[in-house]
Amino acid sequence: MYKSFIISGSGGQGVISMGNALASIIMLNDFFVSLCSSYGAEMRGGAVNCEINMSDSEILSVRNDKVDYVVALNQTSFDKFISKVKENGTIIVNLSLAKVNKIRDDIKYISAPLTQEAINLGNIKITNSIALGVLLKVLGGFSYDNIKPVFEKLLKNKQNMIQKNLEALKLGLDYVLDKE
Amino acid sequence: MQTSEIKYTVPKSIKKDTVFTFCPGCDHGVALRLVAEVLDELNLREKSVAIASSGCSVLLYDFLDVDCIESPHGRACAVATGVKRAHKANGSDKFVFTYQGDGDFASIGLGESLHSALRGENITAICINNTNYGMTGGQMGPTSAMGQITTTSPTGRNKEYHGFPIKTAEHIALCDGVSYSARVALYDIKNIINAKKTIKKAFEYQLEGLGFSFIEILSSCPTNWKLSPSEAHKKIENELTKTYPIKVFKDIKETPNV
Amino acid sequence: MSEKELLKGNIAIARSALAAGCSCYFGYPITPQTEIGEFLSYEMPKRKLAYVCAESEIGAINMALGASATGAKVMVSSSSCAVSLMQEALSYIASDELPVVLVNVMRAGPGQGHIYPSQGDYNQAVIGGGNGDYKTIVLAPSSVQECVDMTFRAFYLSQKYRNPVILLLDGMLGQMAEPAIIKDNPYPETDNSSWVLNGANQRPAREIRSLEPNQNKLIRHIYEMNKKYKALEANETDWEEYQTQDADFILTAFGTMARSAKAVCNYYREKGIKCGLFRPKTLYPFPFERLRELTKTTKKFIDIEMNMGQMLRDVRLSILSNVQISFIGKPVGDWLSESEMIGAIDNIIKDCYANI
Repeated sequence: MYKSFIISGSGGQGVISMGNALASIIMLNDFFVSLCSSYGAEMRGGAVNCEINMSDSEILSVRNDKVDYVVALNQTSFDKFISKVKENGTIIVNLSLAKVNKIRDDIKYISAPLTQEAINLGNIKITNSIALGVLLKVLGGFSYDNIKPVFEKLLKNKQNMIQKNLEALKLGLDYVLDKE
Repeated sequence: MQTSEIKYTVPKSIKKDTVFTFCPGCDHGVALRLVAEVLDELNLREKSVAIASSGCSVLLYDFLDVDCIESPHGRACAVATGVKRAHKANGSDKFVFTYQGDGDFASIGLGESLHSALRGENITAICINNTNYGMTGGQMGPTSAMGQITTTSPTGRNKEYHGFPIKTAEHIALCDGVSYSARVALYDIKNIINAKKTIKKAFEYQLEGLGFSFIEILSSCPTNWKLSPSEAHKKIENELTKTYPIKVFKDIKETPNV
Repeated sequence: MSEKELLKGNIAIARSALAAGCSCYFGYPITPQTEIGEFLSYEMPKRKLAYVCAESEIGAINMALGASATGAKVMVSSSSCAVSLMQEALSYIASDELPVVLVNVMRAGPGQGHIYPSQGDYNQAVIGGGNGDYKTIVLAPSSVQECVDMTFRAFYLSQKYRNPVILLLDGMLGQMAEPAIIKDNPYPETDNSSWVLNGANQRPAREIRSLEPNQNKLIRHIYEMNKKYKALEANETDWEEYQTQDADFILTAFGTMARSAKAVCNYYREKGIKCGLFRPKTLYPFPFERLRELTKTTKKFIDIEMNMGQMLRDVRLSILSNVQISFIGKPVGDWLSESEMIGAIDNIIKDCYANI
């Protein structure tokens, strides 16, 4: 079993936190995992992305030519990374900030107005937790009860944010997705 | 009236059977002896680490009988910072001082010197200012006076080619981390006595934990100035003290930081 | 209880340094290693340890020089172009025989280059960027767990041999996160009471100096240092071998490139092609002898690096004359992917195998 992910957005959308959460969930479920994040000047308000690998054996190459899943939180990310999705792979698109331009027919498109959903829940900052819920639902194999302790651990210094993020995660996990 | 016999004694903090190898008439020997006497009087020999750097001042470790480390050219204050902080982290307080030339302290090492002063590192820096690079044979240094002839300013220092000299003690006095900054000279007995008092005060300020203390010592370099030792001292008295006044520029006990 | 944690390479190094007993850190910011200083600026004052935001890398490495003379465990971290600034002091530290650990999280060069990961400072670290006859121990981790293990080892070797140690990794490893475990320091403490500067109390005063006007003494000092280097080469050389036993060709790589190279090995083995991997874990001392032994049985070597061929020089120096060496590399800052490696290797070996 080997799965690879790219999460991409702009600075402030919580891309790195989401990558960190996903990698932690993978680790605590006893898989091998690696997380590579963009760093330095390119993340100061600009484009941010991270790449995650998940495997049941030691992860050797940490950078992939193409990945199984791309999460694009804005238009730039969608345009940049659609070509990085493997054949039969999936791209998850934040409809609030990106249009789905189906230039490829060999991949699956999943879209939801993630930012709008976060605003509806009362905090734009939890967009990433909704996105993570959606991604984990698509990925399968992880339940809410399984993820909850990871969130509580990651957010132990931000107690007031745990509840909101869990709500967001649940919303994502329960999201009715129109697969296209 | 009974006259007592005056015995010449060597300070405990000077190595036994030391013969100073500085040039005839050089003030380094006097400066080092004063440092050693003050170390003795304050009972610091056993808890001191001295930092030597490059230039004639590096010979410090041949003469002083204290633990010494040599730093790369100009970095003595950074090395002193490391020594002081490491001992503090280890729960022990050591007396740490640097002994540097003017080229070392105020030219190549100005960044390290100034920032140690700004951080208020609790160390003492002694800068021997002889207005040229002595060990390499008398080239123009950051402190060479206007008009001074050196091997690299053969027609005299001028502003078109060389710009202006640095007044180190005045600059260091501007830093808030500094407890004491003064300039002294060694051209006569009165000044030598004053220099010793000043060194002692700077050392005491470190012992009281008041921050960076600094003494600039105007010194003669007869060989490179091409003067006799007494002519060299006259030059300091009559000429150099005009550019470099003998003065205390900062004493935190008298004028605290605003 | 030490447990598995998701750790960034940089943070793993900072945490392991504390666990190894590092009491002094001096630094100046530069991407991609800044997290090390940031993390320690938070943790060290809490423990009353020495932390200085230095005025420059020159200041930082010289503070380390002074601090290590007291016997303290000292670490400095930086990256490529700023490590260049430290070379003068490194030469002094080597001559003074002081234990300093320097972490170089490499970025692209020459000059300022950029923040992209690179292996461009192999030459500087291994051959030496400062003046004079000296050697620096160089350890090259290839995973976050090895960042942990080699940080402990760096402190141990630096104290044991009284020699500077460079931990050399690329920006990708510094920035990437993997599960790792930080255990207690596995190495014994070294007795340094015979040389540290802590005041000449009931003992003669000590000097730590590199200046030596007496020519004979200077020459003796260099001979003594050289003896130490011979001991290092005999006792501390370390490497990893993967399926080299029966290999038709062997890949040589260090750091993160060796991980991808291992994956490439697996790829060829699945196709029935006998590929092996040789990874030096110590770049100095370099495992010359073992590599030479391997050339008796394997006649084709392919060196892979994220630079234009720096370790290649040491690989060439290792081997016997009737062995073919090829090189695959990209300029510093340009990540060499698994598929690019395979493409290039296919080209090199295509005449020997029908199934490529």
